[in-house]
Amino acid sequence: MARGAVLGGGGAGGAGAGAGPAPEGQRRSAGDGGAERAGGGSAAEAGAAAGAGTGAAPAPLQEEATTAPRIPVTRLALHHFDTTYSLQLRDLWPSVRASLLCEQKYGALLNNFSPVDHVTQELELLNATDFISQAHKEAQQLQQGAATKEGGRGENRSQEGSGRGRTVMQAEATTEAETSPPLRASISSNIKCYTFPRGDITRFRPARPDVLGLLDYYLMDAASLLPVLALNVQPDDSVLDLCAAPGGKTLALLQTGVCGHLAANDISISRTKRLYQVLQSYVPKEIREAVSVTSCDGRDWEQLKGSTFHKVLVDVPCTTDRHSVMEEENNIFHKKRTKERQMLPMLQLQLLMAGILATKPGGEVVYSTCSLSPLQNEHVIERAVEIAETQFSISVHVEDLSHFRILFQDTFCFFSDCQLGELVLPNLTANFGPMYFCKLRRM
Amino acid sequence: MAGLLLRGGGRAAAAGLAPGLGRGCCGEAAGLRAMGFSEEQARRLRGLQPRLGPERREAAAAQLLLLGLGAEAALGLLQRSPELLRLPPEQLQERAGELRRLGLQGGRLRRAVSRCPQLFTLPRRRMAAVVRLLRERCLFTAEQLQEVLGTCPAVLLEEPARLHLHFQYAYFRMGVQQKEMVKAQLFRTPFAELRNRHIFLERRGLYQTPHKGQTQTGNPKLKDILELPEGAFLASLARSTPEEYEVFKQLLAREEEEEEEEEEEDRDALYKEEDEDLDGEGSKTAWE
Repeated sequence: MARGAVLGGGGAGGAGAGAGPAPEGQRRSAGDGGAERAGGGSAAEAGAAAGAGTGAAPAPLQEEATTAPRIPVTRLALHHFDTTYSLQLRDLWPSVRASLLCEQKYGALLNNFSPVDHVTQELELLNATDFISQAHKEAQQLQQGAATKEGGRGENRSQEGSGRGRTVMQAEATTEAETSPPLRASISSNIKCYTFPRGDITRFRPARPDVLGLLDYYLMDAASLLPVLALNVQPDDSVLDLCAAPGGKTLALLQTGVCGHLAANDISISRTKRLYQVLQSYVPKEIREAVSVTSCDGRDWEQLKGSTFHKVLVDVPCTTDRHSVMEEENNIFHKKRTKERQMLPMLQLQLLMAGILATKPGGEVVYSTCSLSPLQNEHVIERAVEIAETQFSISVHVEDLSHFRILFQDTFCFFSDCQLGELVLPNLTANFGPMYFCKLRRM
Repeated sequence: MAGLLLRGGGRAAAAGLAPGLGRGCCGEAAGLRAMGFSEEQARRLRGLQPRLGPERREAAAAQLLLLGLGAEAALGLLQRSPELLRLPPEQLQERAGELRRLGLQGGRLRRAVSRCPQLFTLPRRRMAAVVRLLRERCLFTAEQLQEVLGTCPAVLLEEPARLHLHFQYAYFRMGVQQKEMVKAQLFRTPFAELRNRHIFLERRGLYQTPHKGQTQTGNPKLKDILELPEGAFLASLARSTPEEYEVFKQLLAREEEEEEEEEEEDRDALYKEEDEDLDGEGSKTAWE
């Protein structure tokens, strides 16, 4: 490791004024030889440069043929985020930044279509817990605590429940009691997802097929389940997943077991293929065949299908912040994709509008991204609400998800200053996210 | 007291104490007493490596006293590191001389010897290799080398290749010059700990490798990075919590381990004749 680090550092010293230092947290992704070669070549230059001061060059580790050192795309992305997010997150940014540059944490979404008992046993032996049922238990305790609050015992109970003496939970105890029906409903979703405790970096073993050939769990960023949980699918709801590929959230929707009808759409045919594969690996034939998979441009949805859904999930394309600082391949910060990146907020807005228009009156839309950027998050929500009103005379109400956030704050780190919707911040002790989500009700 | 006398006429006294065989325990005891050992200390010293002749023990003890160790300290050292007794006493003397020539003097030499008795048993080639590395490849001046050895004599015991990596990390990756390395006593902190702290700062955005020719950086000083105890480092430099740092260290250790494994595999693959399918992507379909 040190070798790689030294070469990288050499690149920093030797490269021209325009080139930046070697990328931090650089991973060896497929085909990534370029950055290291550049680093190696420049070590010689750095040696020469450094030598100027001392009269000779400290011998570099290796002499390598130099290609013109190019700034890795991940470095460009990181620099972009440094500029924008430090303003937004202020002294939270260093923690988030370090977390983005370290290995992310996964959750294991259990496959309810496969026998789960031995898997839950196995996971619990490893000290993993289903964070959703955990939250359910704590919510119940809170409600019981609130009911018997006269004696002031409720406070003690909430402290027991979380084990960390959360004063926020105490303060919210009364509000919990008031909002308990929707709270309970959103948790009885049959979705089970196991995670390792805070600070535990154990990895899950790869998924294994059962006797029927269906995989036992799906590994994903646990924060990705929050938009699905927020959607709160009720029995027989017709559900639209507007940007469904590669299919993690679609699979989670199916795990609820209550979708009346599920439509999964994605503009990209190749990504839709991936979605098919996921469904094939996890879902029995009869259920799979009941899902309508389409490859349309999501923006055209209303023209094609009209307003027919109770629940719509709009998980839009975004700058995929974590991916952008870690992977060179398929990175939206490539120079040739600048236009695409700059057009993202517009695309996201159009997709959200389509999602709103596809919703029945009284139905709900959840918008989500895996970016920290307010331009892709709150700003899109604000514009959509405004346009729905002014252009379509549709009244859209932003739902308050703060009780939802409080419920899951033991597992995830939420940004407390999020004006609209909720934002999961990556943190080294809980390296999930980024995940932004916001719930809208069409009146 | 006798020790002081010994320093004045050290060699003579030592020579006088090393005649032929058959001196018997009384003769040895008297010799040791003359050097400044108490009766009890002399007894303990005689108990070390009893099969060795008394001259060896006395000579070794004498050399240590010459370096300025007190009687008890010398005895303790010989007890802990009996290999010193097995060395020919001329070697002890020669090595002491070599260390002095490198600039390790007086109190520093004494402390160095007490803490790292392996400085005596270290093969000369190894020691020379380290010195050559530090002077010719790392480009420390003679004065700087002296300071490095004085503050961190254990550096002589390091494997040269590893020492070079350690230096290069600070020089290229952190952009630190020799002068600052000396001031910060770079080699006193284990390399792994330096990486932990530096990379933690770097990923938090609080440390940037300087560009070519860049003199002013906002980077924290190497001295602070290395010398602050962990709590203060986290609070004032990294501005982070102990929990985050704990997790970070584990993640980094795993990263480095896996990078090592990958590099080994790559090296192995280079020597394999057949074309292997190195794509282990099969399991990845389960991952979002």
